[in-house]
Amino acid sequence: MTPPVLIVDDSMTVRMSLSDLLKDAGLDSVTCSTVAEARQALGENTFALVILDVLLPDGNGVDLLREIRAMPQATATTVMMLSTESEVRDRIRGLTTGADDYVGKPYDPTYLVGRARELVRRGVGEASPGKEAVLLIDDSVTFREELKEALEQAGYSVFVAGSGEEGLRIAADVRPSGIVVDGILPGIDGATFIRRIRLDAALRGSPCFLLTGSEDKSAELSALDAGADAFAVKEENIGIILARISAMLRSAGSQTGREATTSLQGPKKVLAVDDSETYLQQLAESLDSEGYEVILARSGEEALEMLAVQQVDCVLLDLVMKGIDGRETCRRLKLVPILRDIPVIMLTAVDDRETMIQSLGAGADDYIAKSSEFDLVRARVMAQIRRKQFEDEHRTVREQLLRAEFEAQKARTALEAAEARGALAEELQFKNEELESFSYSVAHDLRAPLRSIDGFSLALLEDCGDKLDDDGRRYLKYVRDSAQEMARLIDDLLALSRVTRGDLKRGETHVSSLARSIVSRLERGHPDREVDVIVADGIVADCDDRLLTIVLENLIGNAWKFTGKRRDARIEVGMMEDDPRTYFVRDNGAGFDMSYASKLFGIFQRLHSAADFEGTGIGLVTVQRIIRRHGGRIWAQGQVGHGATFYFTLESGPDGGMLPRAQEATLTQRTRDVAA
Amino acid sequence: MHKDKTILLVEDSPADEALTLRALKKANIMSEVVVARDGAEALDYLFGGEAGEVRRKLPELILLDLKLPKLDGHEVLKRIRADERTHLLPVVVLTTSVEDEDRLESYRVGANSYVRKPVNFTEFSQAVLQLGLYWLVLNEQPPQSHV
Repeated sequence: MTPPVLIVDDSMTVRMSLSDLLKDAGLDSVTCSTVAEARQALGENTFALVILDVLLPDGNGVDLLREIRAMPQATATTVMMLSTESEVRDRIRGLTTGADDYVGKPYDPTYLVGRARELVRRGVGEASPGKEAVLLIDDSVTFREELKEALEQAGYSVFVAGSGEEGLRIAADVRPSGIVVDGILPGIDGATFIRRIRLDAALRGSPCFLLTGSEDKSAELSALDAGADAFAVKEENIGIILARISAMLRSAGSQTGREATTSLQGPKKVLAVDDSETYLQQLAESLDSEGYEVILARSGEEALEMLAVQQVDCVLLDLVMKGIDGRETCRRLKLVPILRDIPVIMLTAVDDRETMIQSLGAGADDYIAKSSEFDLVRARVMAQIRRKQFEDEHRTVREQLLRAEFEAQKARTALEAAEARGALAEELQFKNEELESFSYSVAHDLRAPLRSIDGFSLALLEDCGDKLDDDGRRYLKYVRDSAQEMARLIDDLLALSRVTRGDLKRGETHVSSLARSIVSRLERGHPDREVDVIVADGIVADCDDRLLTIVLENLIGNAWKFTGKRRDARIEVGMMEDDPRTYFVRDNGAGFDMSYASKLFGIFQRLHSAADFEGTGIGLVTVQRIIRRHGGRIWAQGQVGHGATFYFTLESGPDGGMLPRAQEATLTQRTRDVAA
Repeated sequence: MHKDKTILLVEDSPADEALTLRALKKANIMSEVVVARDGAEALDYLFGGEAGEVRRKLPELILLDLKLPKLDGHEVLKRIRADERTHLLPVVVLTTSVEDEDRLESYRVGANSYVRKPVNFTEFSQAVLQLGLYWLVLNEQPPQSHV
């Protein structure tokens, strides 16, 4: 259901006439005579279109329009201004304020209703009618009514017209699925009607059915010649005619793309530009009679200003004018992309070769001598509009083709990218599997010979020890130590490679209890050590508990190891007071030189000699990988002989991966201390 | 000690075989040790080859390596568990691997124990000694009629 049209005009005649006209065109309307009434109506209702007079008893239409444009619920409402002020200035004022169209009074009723229908259709979008619409054109009321009834019973909605001219207007307006037209009509005959439909890009897809009298063979021939899709003799049984019409409509199928093109038969706007008032009036009258809305401009400047706010279908331009002349106006007009395609017909006082060349050189599409008959002017205007319509249609088709090609290209590219991604993922999967089987082989195949080296060295010592001197026995001990050292290295490397495999399974992890159980394992393993361990209570982190265990084992294990030479060994596990997402493990052990801090996390990097503290140099690399997998960061502070603190975060956040400023300062400070 | 008992050692590496035998000797386990050098040989020993006859006297303990030629350890274990005559035999997986996957799969297919062979021979000897003590002395076998 289309919302109603709001008519705001102080003249009761205008209101009633418009209301009736719109009603005939299938549009309901609400009428108001003042700005106040209109304001109230707009507050209460939604309108498909507002037809607005400029001069109202209690205000100005342009001001009301400004108000409408500011109303949140009415910003999308289509507004047509209606005014006796036919000055270009007023038009421009109305259009720049936000009117969608501007029609001068006295208006042509057919034009106005046609525009109203077009604007409503544009505003609400053409809802596809439930029934197929058929346009029936016949001057015989009896036959028309009979066939209309039959078609309606067959499920079609029927529009009727008594003449070809009326038929064209209705066709432009309702865009019927099919047209049934009598061969003999007053005014233009059936053949001419069909020819005009075939010339209109918006309508030529509508199948045409021609009705002929049995005695009228020539009409039938000329109609078929003009492009009728089917025909029937009127004297035939109405049922047969109906069946043929249905068959034609079925075979025509659905029409696509028709909605995109404006019909040639619809209301058209022509901008006439001439500095001679007399000629302008004559021209306007002549074109008005053909159903065009004519906008009059008195100079090139005015015309360009007008075109900046309203598109027209054709421009008639006088070559010789005061101010900027026709040629310059035309040249400027053709420079503007959106105006370039409007056909321009140059009006020249004289019809000579020189003028023609000048006109066309400036970009005009056609030229015509002012002395010509107005009939000729009308025909040229019509021809130009038709040419433009064809061009528009071709452009649309080309654009559609290009767009389709572009879409296809995009789809191909996306497909290729997806395939490439798939191949990469497969490759990665393969590499991961390869790495996994490599690690597995390392685990087994490197360890097994080590076991032999160790085992047989011992066997040699035990079984043949008496045949060896002290040096021999010492060498065998080195062999065994080396084998065991290498076994540890392999185990650590495997642990490192395991860290990067598998999924990261985040969950609530009780850091404090994990740390405590690691500490008690260490205490059981080294009953000789006495270490003061302080683990803060209730530390909980969102992380992979299996991986965090490895982190804590390494960090606490290191702290345990590097405090091995202190009697007052002390290890602290906690979180920063100023940032609870930063955890730390602190010891008062051997510490390290801050100038080597950057090397702490390098693989096989050791800052202590094996004689002082054993180790493989892989532990901290493993820790760092785990922290990175969590999106966190690890850093350390230390001083030789005064212990070390390892800080880490387990999430990426605004400052999750950043070194807190306070820490940074301390770090620099410490570095300086060490350097000094 | 345990002279009347038999151990089936499934091990493809001659060095590991020699070390295991030495460790058993060190642990004073005098049981007969039958060595199978791959999975197929182990099954042949247990099921008598082509004829499919089960050996009248089954071993008291199987020490099974995982990485074996022909049939791997898991496959051997699956077949042992699938046959009702051998499905209660104690099988200890004795391997180099500490991969979670290997451990899980071993228990899944019915291993009684999973022991990693340490590189250090002293530790390895200890492990073998405890294995022998546990499975050949402490552990009570299921009644014969059910084996």
